[in-house]
Order: sequence, then C-alpha cells, then structure tokens
Amino acid sequence: MNNIENQRKQFIRPCTRIWLALLALTAVTYGIGHMELGGTHIVMLVLAISFIKGEMVAGFFMGLRHTGLLWRAIMAGWLLIVGGGIAIAYLIGLK
Amino acid sequence: MSTTELSSDARQQGTPPGDLAIWFFIYAELLAFGVFFLAYAFARAHHVELFNDSQRFLNRESGAINTVVLITSSYFVVRAVAAIRAGLARQCARWLGGAIGLGAVFLVIKLFEFHAKFSAGISLSTNTFYMFYLSLTIFHFMHVILGMVILAAVMVKALRGGYTAEQHTGVETGASYWHMVDLVWLILFPLVYVIR
Repeated sequence: MNNIENQRKQFIRPCTRIWLALLALTAVTYGIGHMELGGTHIVMLVLAISFIKGEMVAGFFMGLRHTGLLWRAIMAGWLLIVGGGIAIAYLIGLK
Repeated sequence: MSTTELSSDARQQGTPPGDLAIWFFIYAELLAFGVFFLAYAFARAHHVELFNDSQRFLNRESGAINTVVLITSSYFVVRAVAAIRAGLARQCARWLGGAIGLGAVFLVIKLFEFHAKFSAGISLSTNTFYMFYLSLTIFHFMHVILGMVILAAVMVKALRGGYTAEQHTGVETGASYWHMVDLVWLILFPLVYVIR
C-alpha cells in the first residue's frame, strides 16, 4: 500500500505543477491578446509559448516523455511545422 | 511523473499509453487540424486588415476561459489514469466525470459564443475570417463532443469494475484522445483569438 501511495504522490505532484504552469502560460497569452499587442516579437513569443504548452501536454499529460524517439519526434515535428508555418505566414502578411 | 506510472506494456515497448490504434488516429487528426491552421494563417497573410478587424469582435474572454477549462479537464484525465493505475476504479470514474463536466462547460460557453455571432448576422459567408473562425471552431466542437462520449464510455466501464491496476488500456486510450482535443485548442486559441 505504501508503495502505491508513494507512486501516486510522485505522479500527482509533477502533473499538478504542469497543470499550474499551463494555466500561467495561458494567462500570459490572454494578457497579450487583451492588450491587443501585435508585431513580430510578440507573435513569436505567443508561438513559442504555444510550442512549450504543446510539448508539456504531449510529454507529461499524454505520456510521450517515456516513449521512443519517433513518437516524440512526430509530435514535436507537428508543433514545429504548424508553429513555423504560422510564423512564416505572419511575416508574409507584414509585406 | 516517473516511469513507474506507465502501463507495463508502454514501459516494455516504449510505445505511448493506450491502444496503439488511437495514436494513428490522433496523428491523423493532428494532420487535419494542422492543414486547417496553416490554411488560416496563409489566408490571413493575404487579408491582414480584414482578419485583424474581424478578430476584434471575437469574445477573447470566452476563448481564454475555455482554454483554462480544457487544460483543467486534461489534468482531471491525468488524475483518472493515475487513479486506475493505483487500482482505484471509483476515484478514476470521479475524475473522468469531472473532465466530462468541464467538457460540457466548454460546449456551453462555445454555444453562447456561436449564438452571439449568429444573432449578429454573422455566418460562414460573411467574410474569409469568419468562414475560418466558424469552421475551425465547429470542427473542434465536434471533437470535444466525441471526446466526451469516449470518456463517458470509459467512465461507465470503470464504475462497473472493467479496469484494474494491471489492465486499463481503455482508460489510457480515452485519455490520449482527450489530451489531443486539448492540444489542438492550445494552438487554435492563440492563432484565431490572439495573433494579430
């Protein structure tokens, strides 16, 4: 029983920290939106935050952190391609 | 999160938690959403003023609250998986019930948002921005409903004693799908509601 309790404690504490970190990063994104901030640096920051949040959900919530490289690479690749594409499209829109 | 919390199969093979088939489905879904997101971004590049002006009429607070709701529901699902891995089926079902409840909150908030837009005479044909906004968010809305149905089926099975600490692939499978629904929203929210 003690072993199970220890396992639960180990499990719950990190995932609660991840949840709180995701909420904090969401607050930053919302703040940027609320102030209607724009521009290249702001957009890159918003995209970087989204990438970090995506990696947190994929790694810690979905459990990809403990899987093989290919599984993690597909997820990171998706986030990079989508995020990078959005960044490129934003820069094209500035011209 | 230590490896001791992983299912024995996942630990042995280095594969993600849950049924392997759901992961092919998840990656296919991500591909579809990814194409949709890039289509939005490049359409915006050619209509920057239209997109920025139209975005001002979105309810950013609703979008932010719904982000918090989905992140929290995902957290509840993580707790549900942790509970079943410890052999606590009823606790697992309670966490899943909480996640489903938050899914319902997401849908209600979204319906209010849709109602406000439709009442203002906005439709898919209003302009390019609203075509993307409505189709993207409705597409995601349908995935939330499907995720809730999956979680409800898993919850009922958990309540009936269908999962144990040793055998709970179904819980992990449902959880993985729900996290994907959350993950997609984490890109959709900044893309449509924030970036300008």
